[in-house]
Amino acid sequence: MNNLNEQFGQIYDQYIDKIYRFVYLKVSSQETAEDITSKVFTKYWECLKNPEEEVKNPGAFLYQVARNAVVDHYRAKGRANTVSVDVSSEIADPGTSAQEKAVLNADINVIKKGILKLKKEHQDIIIWHYLEDMPIANIAELMGKPEGTVRVMLHRGLKDLKDIIQES
Amino acid sequence: MTKITQKQLIGQLQQLKEIKPRKEWALLLKSQITADLSAQAEMVSMPEKKISFINGISSVFSQRKLAYAFTAALLLIGGVFGFTTLFSFENMPQQPAALSSQASLKSNVATLNNKINDLAQVAKTGKKTSISSVETEINTLTKNLKNNPISDPVIVKELAVSLKTLADVPGVDLTENKDVKDLYQTVVENQIFDLEKTTLTTEQKEILKTAKDLYEKGKYADALEAILMINN
Repeated sequence: MNNLNEQFGQIYDQYIDKIYRFVYLKVSSQETAEDITSKVFTKYWECLKNPEEEVKNPGAFLYQVARNAVVDHYRAKGRANTVSVDVSSEIADPGTSAQEKAVLNADINVIKKGILKLKKEHQDIIIWHYLEDMPIANIAELMGKPEGTVRVMLHRGLKDLKDIIQES
Repeated sequence: MTKITQKQLIGQLQQLKEIKPRKEWALLLKSQITADLSAQAEMVSMPEKKISFINGISSVFSQRKLAYAFTAALLLIGGVFGFTTLFSFENMPQQPAALSSQASLKSNVATLNNKINDLAQVAKTGKKTSISSVETEINTLTKNLKNNPISDPVIVKELAVSLKTLADVPGVDLTENKDVKDLYQTVVENQIFDLEKTTLTTEQKEILKTAKDLYEKGKYADALEAILMINN
């Protein structure tokens, strides 16, 4: 059990910020982000305890569970993948000082709203590549798409984001 | 925002890296998951809690037996040898007095609990209400606590549950209320002291450490939440 705890602890420490950030940028609510993130890591812990379920790539596993959980969240809420500007303005409620700093920055808030208006796959690729510094090859593996396709999607996503921001 | 270059956009995207979860929440979540609360914690902590409560009752019971035996012996000695005036009985009435102060605390906690439950019920139905009655009860209890520190673990547990219920009432935020803070501090202090004397699993020890860190930072409500995870 201690070995499992250590294994879990290492992955948790490595990914907690990343997974929370990934989810938060897609749901724009601290409470929901915390709820979904806790479900993601609980799922990982359950797999870790079960000898029949081997997790070869914990990072990919966590992001995949997080993506599905976000989809489930919106499905449960009966909402579309994109979020209206009114809803995205709720971003400004959360708690940590670092987070508050980011929220207080008006330009950053515009970027966050812009991300919420992107297609779901574009959101994922932009967050993974530019925020988490994930190489294109890893993103391609994670999404089950050829690297060339991911590059094109990244380019389109960035262009869409730029257009959204300039229109705002 | 008018014009923006791709480089500026990427730069701003990377500033979003500042978004991080609350440290306390992240610590608690880790402890909570690894503690595997549903099974282990209940099996390990509950019997010990029961033992500490039973020990408390039995210690009072044995003191009473001792007191009766001691009184009987003194009467016998006094009757035979006339030494009744040699001993002072000043300390004897202290036990009922101590018990009554705990009973008074218990009554305060019960009243507070009722008021909080009423408040929660009213909040659920969406009716506008005043929280002044809860604040009054909290104030009374805080004053009582200053004179009579809690010694009964059951009262502490009931108070902890009341505070948790109060924290969960929608639309009511008394976290900055001085009396509420004092109550949290008292409960957390008692619980940490109690848990330090208890045998805990590695995971429970980790949660306790987190609770102590939060307590030292003055985050009593978060500390209590962590403690309740051990006790549940």
